[in-house]
Amino acid sequence: MKLPRIRAGAIAALVVALSSPAAVHARTAPLHQAPAFSLPGRGGGVIASDSLRGKVVYVDFWASWCGPCRRSFPWLAELQRKYGDRGFQVVAVNLDKTRDAADAFLAKLPAPFAVAFDPDGRTAEAFHVSAMPSSFLVGRDGAVIESHTGFDPKRAAIIEKRVAEACAP
Amino acid sequence: MQLDRRSPLRARLGAAACVLLASAPAAPAAADTSTDPAPGASATQLELSGLVYGEKGRTDVLEPTVRVTRLFANGQSLTAEAGFDAMTGASPTGGVASLRTQTTTSASGQSTSIPASQVPTAMFRDQRESFDLGWSVPVGPFTATTGGHFSHEKDYRSLGANAVVTLDLLQKSVQLTGGAGMNRDRVDPVGGAVRGLTPGDPLGTAPDPKRVTSMLAGISRVMSRRWLAGVSATREVERGYLTEPYKVLDVLDPATLETAQQLREKRPELRTRTSVLASSTWHFGDAGGDVGYLNYRWYTDDWGVRSNTVDLKWRHDLDDRHWIQPHVRGYSQRQADFFRYYLVQGEPLPAFASSDERLGPLRTVTVGATYGFQVPNLPGEWSVRAEYLHQWGPGKLTRPQAAVAGGDDDGGDAANGGTVDLMPAVHIGSLLVSYSIGF
Amino acid sequence: MRTRMARTRSALAALLLALAALASGCAATIKPWDRDLLAQRKMKLVPSDREAATDRHVYFSKEGSTGGAGVGGGGCGCN
Repeated sequence: MKLPRIRAGAIAALVVALSSPAAVHARTAPLHQAPAFSLPGRGGGVIASDSLRGKVVYVDFWASWCGPCRRSFPWLAELQRKYGDRGFQVVAVNLDKTRDAADAFLAKLPAPFAVAFDPDGRTAEAFHVSAMPSSFLVGRDGAVIESHTGFDPKRAAIIEKRVAEACAP
Repeated sequence: MQLDRRSPLRARLGAAACVLLASAPAAPAAADTSTDPAPGASATQLELSGLVYGEKGRTDVLEPTVRVTRLFANGQSLTAEAGFDAMTGASPTGGVASLRTQTTTSASGQSTSIPASQVPTAMFRDQRESFDLGWSVPVGPFTATTGGHFSHEKDYRSLGANAVVTLDLLQKSVQLTGGAGMNRDRVDPVGGAVRGLTPGDPLGTAPDPKRVTSMLAGISRVMSRRWLAGVSATREVERGYLTEPYKVLDVLDPATLETAQQLREKRPELRTRTSVLASSTWHFGDAGGDVGYLNYRWYTDDWGVRSNTVDLKWRHDLDDRHWIQPHVRGYSQRQADFFRYYLVQGEPLPAFASSDERLGPLRTVTVGATYGFQVPNLPGEWSVRAEYLHQWGPGKLTRPQAAVAGGDDDGGDAANGGTVDLMPAVHIGSLLVSYSIGF
Repeated sequence: MRTRMARTRSALAALLLALAALASGCAATIKPWDRDLLAQRKMKLVPSDREAATDRHVYFSKEGSTGGAGVGGGGCGCN
């Protein structure tokens, strides 16, 4: 009979198909060492990982169209204010396709920390960014201490503790 | 022709149509992350709308609705909706157009004179109230939504419940949906139920309630940066009294092809429907560019009705706060197996028969546009949609010339040399105004 | 009657294949930072719930078909 064969074939196809996107994402293994980067900043400057060696860096990937990013900026500003004098630097990497969109966002939300622009997403690719927003806490030696996706105010306190620990020595 | 009836079962709105997903609350997810001037991550959303609908020479409907959605801190949401329908006008009885002027009388004593070669209709007035409730709970990557529905008309009552589960995968790149629903409708025809395919013999008992079970499965997928696509399938099974209690079928005299007798229609007690919908949304250009929405639906059921629907909408942003969205829809339907324009005296009676245009071979073309705007200094968003529907079908009846010439009591009014349209074109206009605000 | 059953079966088989195609990795997986356009509210399969509900209502009373309830999906995918 035709139907059982079609049904079996279709179910098999569905199972195989559903597993492929999962397989693709399994390739994004956790990072150990933060990749090097050199990106344009505001005002014509350059923000490079080399010049950040010896600092505790919080790399945050954001975009103007990402709601949770909007909510995370005041917290990032607060972190920078508290730990900045202990060798801590927030680097907010923007992934908007056009500078205008990023500028419009920055005009509304103060960003008293380093802002770098990565419109091609190459640095995001190197960091294996899997969701928006994504953040990476990088130690003074360039090793990734921990990474997060999304912004949850409840987790913010825990992250801040890690930042304090990393800045301790 | 005298017809002892009141309001017809013009539309069993709220029956199967509302069972699945329709009453599920809008998922709050997307609103959070938009670049559009959205109501914001509001805790409460209020939507008011009003529909004004008119069929030329037939029905007029006024339908205000109000919907409130409340989003809680834990991610759960509750939606409540209330609607009111006021319907008046003339509805086709199912009879064929005559060459002479006809008169129909409603149960309230109101007479309508139907000019020659026009499809006979009868006046009615009705109102309907409906209430929908939906509750949505996020559980990890799943979202479970349950809903309930109640609506009430003079001679009709509908109760329904549904549950839908969605699963988001890969940061909402892929979304799987599964759902099921049940509806129980009770009809209590004015004057009591009548036996089908008889002139009006009473059924003797109350008609069986109409029970509908529905199932839905679907998948939607982000295909690329600018392309979103989805496919869904629905299966519905209806059981019980599915006949329209007031619709009639003309039995024509084989010689003159004029109506000799009228019988009430009769439909089977079981109907299984299947539909498949393929949807695609495409974003042209960059931020601020146009978006095209294309849908195709294929439908079939075991009554023999088969249809194809194509729907295209085109959204164009005029600026941050104004947009227009023209719309065109084409629909083509093949008739039900037991659809008959009329029966002929002397021929054996079929098991089932109906001359309800909705089961006939018909085409509908819709053309319209929506205009969305925000009033400066006034919170909230408005949209106004105007549409024109044109519905028609084939089917002509040509009567022998002898019948045309004869005079009669009604003061004979022959037209078109003896040919009448059995499914004349219907012209419909509708205006939908909506206002949405978040707190 | 038999041909209609067979036609429904092949239509459902086609549907299953379409579902499988949509679920598969054939289309390139989208990068999270490429979801700028998808984040807009107008990027949905059903642009307006209210219009869709009104349409269901109107066409249910004027035509013989039902169904075609939409599904969701898309968005910016932010957590």
